[in-house]
Amino acid sequence: MPFFRVLTLFFLASFGFQAFSQQQRSIVGEVLDVSNSEPLVGANVYWEGKSSSGVVSDINGKFQLAVSELPFRLVISYVGYEQSIRIINEKEAEKPIRFFLKPEEMSLDEIIIQERRPDEQVKNMEMGKATVPIETIKNIPALFGEVDLLRSLQLLPGVKSAGEGTTGIFVRGGSADQNLVQLDGAPVYNPSHFFGIFSVFNPDGLKSVDLYKGNMPASFGGRAASLIDVSLREGNNVKIRGEGGIGSISSRLTLDGPLFGKNSTFIISGRRTYADLFLKLSSDENIKNNKLNFHDLSGKVAFVLNNRDKISLSSYEGSDFLGLDEEFGLGWTNWVSSVNWSRVNTEKFFFDLQGYHSRYSYTVEFDDPENGFEWSNKLSESGLKALWTLLPGSGTQVKWGVHSQYYHFAPIDLEPSPESAIQPIATNPKNGLLNNLFASVEQEVSPKLRVEAGLRWGLFNQVGKGVDYLYEGGKPGPEIDITDSLSYGTLENMQFYQGLEPRLAFRYLINERFSIKTAYNRNFQYIQIASNSSAGLPIDRWVLSGRYVEPVRSDQVSLGLFHNFDQNRWEFSVEGYYKDLDNVIDLRNGAQVLFTDQVETELLAGKGWAYGAEFLLRKNIGKTTGWLAYTWSRTWRKIDGVSKNEPYNPRFDRPNDVTLVLNHEFSPSWSAGLTFVYTTGQAVSYPVGSYEMDNQFVPLYSEYRNLDRFPNYHRMDASVTWKNADKGRKWRGSWNFSIYNLYGRKNPFAYEFRKIYNDDINFDTSEDGEIISATPGVVMTYLFTFLPSITYNFQF
Amino acid sequence: MKRLLVILFSIALWSCQEEVVLPLGEEESPIPTIEAYWTDQPTFNEVKITLSKDYYDSADVEVVNDAEVSIINPNTGKVIPFVYLGGANIYRPTNPHERAIVGETYQLNVKWQGQEFVSEGLMLQAPTVDSVTWSFEEERLFRDEGYYIKVYGQIPFEEDNNYRIRVIENDTLKNQREDYLLFDDTFGLEFFEQGLELGYPFEENDKVRLELFRLNRDAYDYLNQLVNLLFNDGGLFSPPPQNPDSNIRVVRGDTDVLGYFVVTPVLSRTVLIQAKYD
Repeated sequence: MPFFRVLTLFFLASFGFQAFSQQQRSIVGEVLDVSNSEPLVGANVYWEGKSSSGVVSDINGKFQLAVSELPFRLVISYVGYEQSIRIINEKEAEKPIRFFLKPEEMSLDEIIIQERRPDEQVKNMEMGKATVPIETIKNIPALFGEVDLLRSLQLLPGVKSAGEGTTGIFVRGGSADQNLVQLDGAPVYNPSHFFGIFSVFNPDGLKSVDLYKGNMPASFGGRAASLIDVSLREGNNVKIRGEGGIGSISSRLTLDGPLFGKNSTFIISGRRTYADLFLKLSSDENIKNNKLNFHDLSGKVAFVLNNRDKISLSSYEGSDFLGLDEEFGLGWTNWVSSVNWSRVNTEKFFFDLQGYHSRYSYTVEFDDPENGFEWSNKLSESGLKALWTLLPGSGTQVKWGVHSQYYHFAPIDLEPSPESAIQPIATNPKNGLLNNLFASVEQEVSPKLRVEAGLRWGLFNQVGKGVDYLYEGGKPGPEIDITDSLSYGTLENMQFYQGLEPRLAFRYLINERFSIKTAYNRNFQYIQIASNSSAGLPIDRWVLSGRYVEPVRSDQVSLGLFHNFDQNRWEFSVEGYYKDLDNVIDLRNGAQVLFTDQVETELLAGKGWAYGAEFLLRKNIGKTTGWLAYTWSRTWRKIDGVSKNEPYNPRFDRPNDVTLVLNHEFSPSWSAGLTFVYTTGQAVSYPVGSYEMDNQFVPLYSEYRNLDRFPNYHRMDASVTWKNADKGRKWRGSWNFSIYNLYGRKNPFAYEFRKIYNDDINFDTSEDGEIISATPGVVMTYLFTFLPSITYNFQF
Repeated sequence: MKRLLVILFSIALWSCQEEVVLPLGEEESPIPTIEAYWTDQPTFNEVKITLSKDYYDSADVEVVNDAEVSIINPNTGKVIPFVYLGGANIYRPTNPHERAIVGETYQLNVKWQGQEFVSEGLMLQAPTVDSVTWSFEEERLFRDEGYYIKVYGQIPFEEDNNYRIRVIENDTLKNQREDYLLFDDTFGLEFFEQGLELGYPFEENDKVRLELFRLNRDAYDYLNQLVNLLFNDGGLFSPPPQNPDSNIRVVRGDTDVLGYFVVTPVLSRTVLIQAKYD
């Protein structure tokens, strides 16, 4: 992902550029990994004893360093690699020099933190940002042994889960649809498999994931709560390599290597589940004939055209399918593709161009002679983004660019089978065109104070083809008559919104180990999911801003203290935030949103706010790594028509949240991981009574929403990994044994309030005979107690 | 769809269930609950008034027997008083021959302990039911084998297409939450002409009575929300549970009110399932 590289480069470069911009004579060189000749980005290069006037290698591993006297000893260092010291004499200084660094013999964790400078969290401008190395994610004990990116992010402070077994995430009080999950710059609309139990990415194919909890750079936007920026790994350019794994429910394989010589690489990565095989083992015919599976396939090719230009193409496709008895099928597919061109115009001027297309579709088929149908829907986003970056010197960096997005929500299409008696349904399409202009400047005001100021201007048009309905009295509602409808032609403007999104951040360095940062951020979001359940479904309906639905606005202010100690081995941070949301939608009671063309009649809109404090203590280096996080936070919504128009807590408001993630390497062969989570239970509504209606026993609920709490949630997971420590061997295998919910805590997934007959919760009144007793009761459903799994991983 | 997902979810996830006792809140005072039917068939015309109770209270609901109940036709000013029948615990019209007339609007009035509750409904024209048939069907997806009943009829209306069919099998009302049969014109109404199949099997010699109602939208929504609530499992895939939106208003007093008022035509048919005629 060019952005990430460029960003890394800038943060690193901003500390070094002053030196060489003032000098005239200099040496040029290149820093490479000895094992695969890949450039090392951000290696420190300095004359011995003069580290403060050193430079860092750029996106291509290249550097330029001012020379004052020769011969002199040159130091090249890079985290995770052995330091190289070389005497440079006059003759050598005349031509470019290549330096090959050898990886240090340490754990993967230690190598992986190479992307960060040890004191980066104190010195950079970032707030509310978390980077989790893929290797760390791979070491976290996983449900069914399936390493899961989004589930791992739930372990970070400020990120909440809606409940057991879901990958849906809620960042600093934002709803699940307010997160932008993007893969190499292209948005992924439904980043989950199996109704949210797993997330869509095969970790072997990934390079990194960055989570921005609301403080996004001006070059990003479009969602109110967060950006989850995932990048696919690039292949190496030396030889074909592979890695993969065979797990309890899925297997995966990744191959990478040079494509056409050294200047082009490829990587291809696939994963397929075989949950169906388990269904086949069932003796129950009803279960046996079902299908339940998913797959992921991703690939990336990268071409280094010359020493200035690089082009990469990425694509991901992932599908789920659920079939019952060959008669019913539900399938959904994400397909995203992107092309990235990055150009280094000069050492101080860069250009990135990106084009992408993302498509999400689902199909429901019911093969029945009388009521059969095929119901499908598709939505897509296409975009083009150009980003210019200039480093004029003195630690200043300037970025500007344009980002155009085209949303297309295809009509909901329900086609009855030929003999079917039900009528077809087709809604009107929705289209939106969002053009964003953005610019930002990051400037060193003084050695201690650094400022970043950015502005993003979004210009949104809902455009045709489409139809708007006019309602009596001007406001839509379920019982309100439609007075007229307006049809619009292709690309004809239907509704226009625009908004300025300022982004402002300050960093004040108290000393080398201690900084204070503060930021203000505004975001507009022009699409939302019309749903009021807490977990996403494949058939969720997205709603575009238009005549009746205003864009979501989000404002966030945050303040943080950042401290590193023990030679940057430990990082500590405290961040506080307050977020204000407007035009968040909810659904009215009994809303039917799936098939209607007047979805606006089913919606309610209102405000939201959230605040909290996040504490994080993290250790990145050494035999033991991991973090301890504590978050205290509150989330509120106030929506007319819900909870008597009073503020209420959404389900994911979970004030106290503790996470411990530990990984320890006992020996080169043995390592272990441990995770512990403790959170306040979800905010829910329990009945306050019961009544009889239509011969039913009906729980009575308060008019106020979510006044009750599930019991506190806690769980511990553990894993042990054994790997063949002999690095000389071609085939390297490792075994991972993990247990989810180690001490078998029964965390509730749901409570059902119903009558229990004959003191048996499974008693079926229509089949199981005479009813002796009937008492109102509560039935708890819980998932996954003590779930072991085993995975074999390999590399070659 | 949602029900299906719940089923699949539980298959797929090795979920477990057990009974628990949760501390639950209480209402300060019981809430009056009104269930009122006003139809073109006198036997269906009744008003039931009960009180809500604490959740764990397993006693029978308390019946309100001292309310003043009437139905008014605001156009004609005619007042139809109701009287409480102790044995049945319901209110019925004092004049048992009174009934709803198509095209008229009716207003329900309930007065109790200084409180007054009001609701309105329009009496709609009934559709036609041409025939009711049955046939034996092998096991299908989501449907066990057995005798299935089909209702054939005509619905010539452009608007107010909100229907409910109640099924009484051998004098027992099918009232599981799965048994509700509510339909509107979202998927058209052609299926009613081609035969609407009831979603559950019957056995030979079953005597089955079908009752078809054409409801006002608010009453239909009430029932839909009631069914959704009965299916709400409190999990992530369920919306936050809410009481169904009552179409009854409180015009005097500071209490809440639960329940609904239904004005509807009733069509009923009875069939006896006999294999020899299949």
